[in-house]
Amino acid sequence: MRRVALGFISLLLIAACGGGGGGGGTNAGTPQRGGTATVALESELHTLDPMDSSLLVEREVFYNIYDSLFTIDPSLKIKAGLVTQWDVSDPLNYKFTLRSGVKYQDGTPFNGASVKANIDRYKTATTSRRKSDLASVASVEVTDDTHVIFHLKKPDATLLATLVDRAGMMLSIDAVNKGGQNFSLSPVGAGSGPFQFVEWMRNDHLTLKKNPSYWRAGFPYLDGVTYRAIPDVNAILSALKTGDIDIARVIAGKDVASVKADSNFIYKDVPAIGFNGFELNAGAPPFNDPAKRQAVALAIDRYSILKNIDFNIGVVGYGPIPPSSWAFDSTEKIYDHADASKAKSTATGFTFTYKTTSDPVNQQLAQLMQSELTAAGITMQIQTEEFATYQQECANHQFQACGVSWSGRIDPDGNMYAWWHTGGSFNDSLYSNPQVDQWLDDARTSADQAKRKADYDNAQKQIVQDAPYVFTTFGVSAQISDTKIHNFTLYPDLMIRMAEVWKG
Amino acid sequence: MSNATVIVAAQQPFRRTPVELLDLVRSHRRVTVAALLLGLLVLVALLSPVISPHDPLAVNPDNSYLPPLSPGHLLGTDELGRDLLSRILWGARVSLPVALVAVAVGLIGGGTIGMISGYAGGAVDLLLMRLMDALLAFPGLILAIALVAALGPGLRNAMIAIGIVAVPLYARLVRAVVLQLKPMEFIVATRSIGASPLRLVVRHLIPNLVNPIIVQVSLSAGFAILAEATLSFLGLGAQLPTPDWGQMINTGAAFLTNDPWLAIVPGAAISVTVYSFNLLGDALRDALDPRLRT
Amino acid sequence: MTAYILRRLLLMVPVAFLVTVGVFMLIHLSPGDPALVILGEDRTPQAIAAIHQQLGLDQPLYVQYGIWLGHIVHGDWGRSITTHEPVAAAITERLPATLELGIVALVWSLLVAIPLGTIAAVRRGSLTDQVVTGITVAGVSIPNFFIGIVLIFVLSVTLRLFPFGGYVPLLQNPLESLRHVALPAIALGTAGAAINMRFTRSSMIEVLNLDYIRTAWAKGASWRRVVFVHALKNALIPVVTIVGIQIGGIIEGAVVTETVFTWPGVGRLAVESIFNRDYTVVQGIVLLAAFSYMLANLLVDVAYAWLDPRISYA
Repeated sequence: MRRVALGFISLLLIAACGGGGGGGGTNAGTPQRGGTATVALESELHTLDPMDSSLLVEREVFYNIYDSLFTIDPSLKIKAGLVTQWDVSDPLNYKFTLRSGVKYQDGTPFNGASVKANIDRYKTATTSRRKSDLASVASVEVTDDTHVIFHLKKPDATLLATLVDRAGMMLSIDAVNKGGQNFSLSPVGAGSGPFQFVEWMRNDHLTLKKNPSYWRAGFPYLDGVTYRAIPDVNAILSALKTGDIDIARVIAGKDVASVKADSNFIYKDVPAIGFNGFELNAGAPPFNDPAKRQAVALAIDRYSILKNIDFNIGVVGYGPIPPSSWAFDSTEKIYDHADASKAKSTATGFTFTYKTTSDPVNQQLAQLMQSELTAAGITMQIQTEEFATYQQECANHQFQACGVSWSGRIDPDGNMYAWWHTGGSFNDSLYSNPQVDQWLDDARTSADQAKRKADYDNAQKQIVQDAPYVFTTFGVSAQISDTKIHNFTLYPDLMIRMAEVWKG
Repeated sequence: MSNATVIVAAQQPFRRTPVELLDLVRSHRRVTVAALLLGLLVLVALLSPVISPHDPLAVNPDNSYLPPLSPGHLLGTDELGRDLLSRILWGARVSLPVALVAVAVGLIGGGTIGMISGYAGGAVDLLLMRLMDALLAFPGLILAIALVAALGPGLRNAMIAIGIVAVPLYARLVRAVVLQLKPMEFIVATRSIGASPLRLVVRHLIPNLVNPIIVQVSLSAGFAILAEATLSFLGLGAQLPTPDWGQMINTGAAFLTNDPWLAIVPGAAISVTVYSFNLLGDALRDALDPRLRT
Repeated sequence: MTAYILRRLLLMVPVAFLVTVGVFMLIHLSPGDPALVILGEDRTPQAIAAIHQQLGLDQPLYVQYGIWLGHIVHGDWGRSITTHEPVAAAITERLPATLELGIVALVWSLLVAIPLGTIAAVRRGSLTDQVVTGITVAGVSIPNFFIGIVLIFVLSVTLRLFPFGGYVPLLQNPLESLRHVALPAIALGTAGAAINMRFTRSSMIEVLNLDYIRTAWAKGASWRRVVFVHALKNALIPVVTIVGIQIGGIIEGAVVTETVFTWPGVGRLAVESIFNRDYTVVQGIVLLAAFSYMLANLLVDVAYAWLDPRISYA
């Protein structure tokens, strides 16, 4: 069932808090080679080409086929990828040294020319969705096979983080051309990562096999990885129990306790990088009145939501930057425990409509919030819509309140700019505050992390105060797997990296 | 239903006066049983506000997932602490009207088209029947899903969608009866006197429709409930917090390991209700069809 | 008769045309923007506009329909809006899974229906008849998604007797394939079992009352011989026709079952495409289903006329 709304996933990622430790995997014993691991994906992919990809699940597969220019470690620090050294002292000309001796799975070499070709493709191809990611890049200059210079139009402190994800994934242009129109469905030999594409039987399975010429010597351990798209989280747990899958990223919150207690399974989680809650339309009544927005933010009982909907997985949330980020500021708890009386005195006696999908968890959440708001004299009406309709109406500002979450980005800019900068592509709320715009713009272009943090602190406080969005919880990135899976490292960005995993 | 089955069905010998329904119910045992069962369900639906121990909408998160036979909750509670028994009883209030409305939409809509088509004949008949063919050829469940997606999820739109899917069935049935009646002497005679078409319809057509329609309506009602349950299961029918059996199975399916009652009881409720409609339809069909008499 | 068949075949074209107009309007007029569904988290106003333009969604509806129709007439079923895969390929890729599910379900339903229907007919009016009839009516009354859920829970998750989901092509590994299709086929076929059983029973009753059967009895033929050799053979002919109709409706029937069991078939593709507003795929599937339904009906009507002298299509 195609029940996977952006909000839904993140909400469910709120698995048991305090569960497993940070990022380490189970390291018992020496790694065994061989075997295939089956991974559950929570929805079907549309494409295997990073160029026109826009779904979260697609990224989960990409990290195992393709390499990016940069990578991150479990604490979200930027690390070397296909770029081994980087000189960003000149904010308009980034100099990168590339890794040598890397070959794509079709045998063609990775080099400076390839980097340029990929970036040009992302910037200019008709169907490319990476154009806005690379908006600050003017051109790529190839000095030699292992050195390139990125010429930027304007300073962009977020570029390195962007190059960790799809916009920085390097493909063999040879393979792209060979694939032609069907490349996105069959990217044979296109990546340089630990696994290569074998076959994709849509709605059933996607198979990858080991890349024998992977540049990281000794990896991967597995012979192959198979992905299965299972759109229902309960079905995912069933598949795990029957052994039809080995690893999943998300299960229903209600099942976490029993999985943790089951010695056949491993459960771990770490704080993720997104946020959950709902947006309010500041461009139309009743929420063009800031007092009413604040009243709602005051009346919502976040702790009850965490307990009853999320089964205490995750933590209460109160801003766009979660604890996993360097920009997190714990002093921003403007709205914490529900305060019905304060809400009442701020604004009361009004009605609004909350839009959501028919997914049972979303429905439950809506009903819980509805009853919480009654205590403050605010009437919330729930309007349930089919996913595509709900998505369109929220994007086109045809709502009063809309339940939507964000899966998060490594750089704090990715959690704020598009959402609350005037005219941002996610600014469904039509929020506009010139001072906030200034802070966000400054933070984007400044290279000094301390200064950026100060800007984000200010912007966050203002946004939370003004409440164009009511934050409820911060979710987790989880690993739910069979005990046969070893050495799996959990990252906050929800991605499943299989290169170092072994099965035995 | 193919053309052939409709033609065969329409070739049943006509009764000029409808069999007294009560007589039917009394004399045929299966019909009696089915009617009683159905009557019981209707009673539950009517009386549920009175006999339910709790408010089916009352959310009580601290009391969730109580097992059956807990104090005060005979069947236990669901994920938000609502009483399961109350929700099941109220579910009858949701499902039975759905069957009624959906069948009514199909019957009235389809019946009117069938009547016009059969009576007018010629190009009108040709066009209308081709439209009905198109509607029939459109895979039913997919049509219903697409309709609800277009209109928006909810009980009302589900009823309309299911009714629309049923329209061609009734159109053909009614048209077949009209076609059989048209050349008959008494009709020709009445028309030549100048009697109005309305009078013809009321005095002659409708009584002759009762037999085939009654059977079809019973079976359609059962089917409508199943269809609505399916739509609700897919998230397109009744929305929370309305207590609807299909949607309760949808939510309850997630809890089969810890609390199977949440899905099993509504499943049983649907089955029993549809069963009684099907039983009635089957029994009536057997009772009214002389060929199958022992 | 030939004239009748030709007329029916010709009529299929305008009816199919009406169906395509219907589905086109229905899905295009539904709220929801495929561009947003495609873009997911990467929606920028420029990207949205670009997609609208690429897909021709900014043109008036009748123009869009005309373009689509023009392509179909030339055999081009278009490309999926979400994956850019050719619609024809997307359907043929999933058709074997749906066909296997539908046919195994049908076989299961007949394996149950024919013996039970025969017994009920032979022992007509007795307790056996009532019980058997009662059971099969129950079979058509239980929602098939409910049967599916219970089967999964009991046989797959709890008892681990059957795998959960996953499709193995029949030709690749027949035994594994049957293991995987077993549960969904049982869920799907139970309702059909009831219908086929009713049909078998009533048809058998008619045949058993016919003169030549009574003659065989009178001549002293054994009970078994009468039933199986003479009666059943003839009674099954109408049943075959109803089976024909069920085959015609295979895609529609599989929709819910495929969703519950995450079976990679055409039915599930149809539902997901509706939710994704993948117009071309929905239009293609509906057209295919409509044609298969009409064709199956035509074959059934012809078979009926050939067999039952009461029916004439003059």
